[in-house]
Amino acid sequence: MRDVAIVGVGSTQFGRAQWSLLKMMCEASHDAIVDAGIGEKKIDAVYVANMGGSRNNRMAGLSSALVDRMNLYPHTVSETIENGPASGASAIKHGMHSVASGHCDLVLVCGGERMQEVNNFEATEFVSYLSHRYAEYVYGVTLPSLAGMFTRLYMERYGLEPRHLAMVAIKNHENGAKNRKAHLRIPVTMEGILTGPDALNNNPWIAEPLRFFDCCPVSDGASAVLLAPAEMAKQFAKTPVLIAGMGQATDSQAVQDRPDPTELTAVRMAAERAFAMAKLAPKDIHVAELHDAFTILEIAESEECGFFKKGEGHKALERGETKIGGKLPINPSGGLKARGHPVGNTGVSQVVELALQLRGEAGDYQVPNQPKHGFAVNFGGFGNNVVATVLKRGV
Amino acid sequence: MARTVEAAKCANCGKLSYPRHYYCPACHGTKFEPVPIEGEGRLITWTRVYALPLDYAVRYTTLGIVELDMGVRATGQLDIAEPKTGQRVRARVGTVREINGKDVAGLIFGAV
Repeated sequence: MRDVAIVGVGSTQFGRAQWSLLKMMCEASHDAIVDAGIGEKKIDAVYVANMGGSRNNRMAGLSSALVDRMNLYPHTVSETIENGPASGASAIKHGMHSVASGHCDLVLVCGGERMQEVNNFEATEFVSYLSHRYAEYVYGVTLPSLAGMFTRLYMERYGLEPRHLAMVAIKNHENGAKNRKAHLRIPVTMEGILTGPDALNNNPWIAEPLRFFDCCPVSDGASAVLLAPAEMAKQFAKTPVLIAGMGQATDSQAVQDRPDPTELTAVRMAAERAFAMAKLAPKDIHVAELHDAFTILEIAESEECGFFKKGEGHKALERGETKIGGKLPINPSGGLKARGHPVGNTGVSQVVELALQLRGEAGDYQVPNQPKHGFAVNFGGFGNNVVATVLKRGV
Repeated sequence: MARTVEAAKCANCGKLSYPRHYYCPACHGTKFEPVPIEGEGRLITWTRVYALPLDYAVRYTTLGIVELDMGVRATGQLDIAEPKTGQRVRARVGTVREINGKDVAGLIFGAV
């Protein structure tokens, strides 16, 4: 098996798309091709990550559409990967396998999602298809409601308070404000969203105890990475970033079915597998992008991945350890919370952000001291399919 | 419309599971007998949710996960104005959603 490197990255603006889903994906892919300093004709394979194209955009077989739009036929092979909100990292995993096996040399992985083509009820509905059909969905269970029930248990068990959840939102909005491609570039304050007289107007309940600013926005956006064998990586324009480890794990579809519903077993196992492949440990990581679709998830995942002890993630947050400049900056890009969460694309966008950090190109939100190792968690369903990635600067 | 919600009792080892899996989680058996979910239990967590999917013309719904005395856990709607974690509840079956014009029956938990 060959080591695999990221040799090019690209991304659109996140938020409300100005273009069609396909054009966004072309834009991100073209950015990655230009970043790598190559011609598109050299691409052997295309993996597209998307979750809602069939329902929200009336498009299926997206990878074929992208190959057509970018004139990559007939030599390029392509597939679309749908793995819920973990589609992005799943597509990168498939791309990595295809290069590692020697089957392909240059692989384009592009994630794209255009959710704002439908209204918010439709968007919430289509994401709720991830829940268990008979044990959850029929009751009107949505992802925010699973997160709300999880949060209540977590707060009771570990002593988290609403201010800890707000601290995640405040930190990630502050980071997102520095990221010109982020969906939400509005800093928020504790007074504005929790303690002030207008807080409940600014920040109404979504799924108690979660409020509006505890939830990620509904975003459009596309991102792309180009993968190549590590041995060829120095032929490209930019510093290569090695995919040092990837791990994946699954869990019961229904949250109620887990022996302890506060445990995110698939996150823990995916992280352990990624660290084992990379021969690195949580203490070696300098920057992380975690799947904060809800503020509680950043805290819970930071514990399950081994960065902090169970029940102590919120204390590290309180001490400022997860800010840019802290011991382990988490979500310097703004995370899903502020950068945005175009569901099928998110896993690709996390890896793009980490690659920029490791290359020292993140600009206003660059983590200091030249980070060498990055880590991402891409969380599908409510934790029933999770992909973790460890990246390393250089090959 | 079915007016019961059923757990699955493994015909081989007797393990009760809900929702039903293809293989028994305890012994990998594939034959099950349906057992209606009923009786009392303890509310382990809940939420009042305003981010609703399609099919609901209400401002919010209240959902919870209940540990039933019969030995399974179930998610359902709560017919309780001010739920408290840990409180005793009783299961009944009622209409929980309308999908494509058809009523769907499910678990509704009320205070004991």
